[in-house]
Amino acid sequence: MNLGVEHPAVLWFLALAALPLFAGIFRRQGLPSLLPVPGDVLSAMVVAALRSLGVVAIAGTVLGLSGLHRREHSVPREGFGTHLVLLLDRSASMNDTFAGRVPGRARETEEESKSAAAKRLLTEFVAGRPHDRIAVAAFSTSPLLVLPMTDRIEAVEAAIAAIDRPGLAYTDVGRGLALAMSLFDDATLGTSRALLLVSDGAAVIDHRVQDALRDLIRRLPVHLYWLYLRSAGSPGILEPSGGQSERTPQADPERHLHVFLASLGVPYRAFEATSPGAVKDAVAEIDRLETRPLRYLEQVPRRDVSRHAYGVACAATGLLLLAKLLERDLASRSDPIARQGSRSRRPSPA
Amino acid sequence: MSRLAGWRGTCRDPGALCLGGAFLCLFVAALAPHLVMRRSAYDLLAAVDITGSMNARDYTIDGKPASRLEKVERVLRDLLARLPCGSRMGLAVFTERRTFLLFEPVDVCRAFAALDGALRALDWRMAWEGDSRVAAGVYSAVDLAADLGAGLVFLTDGQEAPPLPHSGPPPFEGKAKDVRGVIVGVGGTTPVPIPKFDANGREIGFWAMTDVPQENRFGPPPRDAELREGYHPRNAPFGAGAAAGNEHLTSLREDHLRALAATTGLAYAPLQEAQGLAEALMREATPRPVVAPLDPAPVPAALALILLVVLFGLLPLLHGRPDLLTHKPRMFSRCRDRPSSPLC
Repeated sequence: MNLGVEHPAVLWFLALAALPLFAGIFRRQGLPSLLPVPGDVLSAMVVAALRSLGVVAIAGTVLGLSGLHRREHSVPREGFGTHLVLLLDRSASMNDTFAGRVPGRARETEEESKSAAAKRLLTEFVAGRPHDRIAVAAFSTSPLLVLPMTDRIEAVEAAIAAIDRPGLAYTDVGRGLALAMSLFDDATLGTSRALLLVSDGAAVIDHRVQDALRDLIRRLPVHLYWLYLRSAGSPGILEPSGGQSERTPQADPERHLHVFLASLGVPYRAFEATSPGAVKDAVAEIDRLETRPLRYLEQVPRRDVSRHAYGVACAATGLLLLAKLLERDLASRSDPIARQGSRSRRPSPA
Repeated sequence: MSRLAGWRGTCRDPGALCLGGAFLCLFVAALAPHLVMRRSAYDLLAAVDITGSMNARDYTIDGKPASRLEKVERVLRDLLARLPCGSRMGLAVFTERRTFLLFEPVDVCRAFAALDGALRALDWRMAWEGDSRVAAGVYSAVDLAADLGAGLVFLTDGQEAPPLPHSGPPPFEGKAKDVRGVIVGVGGTTPVPIPKFDANGREIGFWAMTDVPQENRFGPPPRDAELREGYHPRNAPFGAGAAAGNEHLTSLREDHLRALAATTGLAYAPLQEAQGLAEALMREATPRPVVAPLDPAPVPAALALILLVVLFGLLPLLHGRPDLLTHKPRMFSRCRDRPSSPLC
């Protein structure tokens, strides 16, 4: 039991629990001699029990007042999930629709922007994966760390909710990937790791950054997923497009990023989504693929047990009260000695 | 008859009364239903300036020099722990001329670790441009906060880079006082040098006077320009000499921030410890009523404790104890009256 108290200073009052050891609550009656009542084990036990009831009553009340609770702790459990880093593109083009248009305010077209579709579907995705630990990074002109690895779904959802805000200018995917790789902390060692890149484009990755990424991934293998939100008119990534002269990283950076990611030697899948429906299918597929056995820590929230302490104190007080109510003066007993004593209390008429 | 007298005696016994009272109080404490209390919580958007001047080291944390950004991070993390549960905080970073939302406000108690980690991860390397147009950043943060329905905490040193034109800051197009909140001035009043980093993020010294624009020469020249050396209305409207100044050094631009605060209807406060910041926020930001459970149990429990202490501590002292001979035992007096009693 991992117990804690809210107000430790109140615990000083626990010293009061020693009072019942020194003082009794029963009426004292003097006897001229102890000879008529020789000490016996049963009486001694009753006395000890009554005194400890007093101790329990005071200690229980003080513990309850100090805000006794069982601390929040975590229990290791086996489940299905993964350590996931979401790497989200926040370049300005994400705010356009799949058709490459600015979503109209007049709603004459019911198209949603790529970022809005990604936001909606990713929110559903993380909500359906309660055992994942998720980190969020964003990239545009520069990589931005949004949220380190966390198991708080609501924080992840808040980070995903921010992605349909106006984005920045460029798409520096290389440094974004490097930042995302750095988010796998020590706790992810020996477990499954996945990196989900959501972007609608790519850019040429610097050779030095490429080498750094190869190095990072060799040291910490991850499952790579790229959800490529393909706008109308932009080249696909799965097949080479255009003539030989157009197959340069500058002309077709998306295809080259795909080839680069596939060459890293780790499980990698790319999903080309050209509509919100396709994004949904891709997310469902990732959801299905990333269900590997995972040892995760289930958080058991803090639980208040002060009521229990009051209950125990109440029971002890109740027993004491019962004993007190059963208490009789020697005078009222029916044994002859006491009766004689009680008679002697009255003033004699003589 | 004697049995009844015994009961009556017990009922008159202060000890029994205390015990009964304590029992009742504890019974109530153990089973009392939880009450509901209305309390104020705050929705906040913390926007942090991550431009170069925030790397200037004019704070100390634990006896070591610390940059403004480190100090801001520390204060915000402390602030997180001081906000009442039910409050929510979102995080945004400012550089160039935009405030960029990292995540929307989340519950500070339930997502404490995540928020704490995110604040710890704030870094000047996230900045996507070198410019620091604070006025535009504040305006965009106000828009963002209005959209989120949150109060704003904008932490900046107010250093504009490039410097503001002589016509002053750009106009504010929103409605003043639409968003409540605080602009927090970060930094000391003494100008300090700004660290300079290379492309790989290594510190390589400080910015020098010739590295940064010292004067904004867009727009109309200042009124006193004709007094400058080499002034010519067409060929040298800002004078002939290169601009000189202290723009490569940084100190808290309090006047500029106060003016911005007045324009946007925010309050201004210099950066202090988290306690002061929390108080300023609770004064300025609009509270949102939240329902919090209130446990009434401590009241009867405290009463029970008092009764138990009276019972075990006070009553024995007042009444004395026959075995300690603090008062005359009854039996002996009886023996004095009737020495012939068999008990004497």
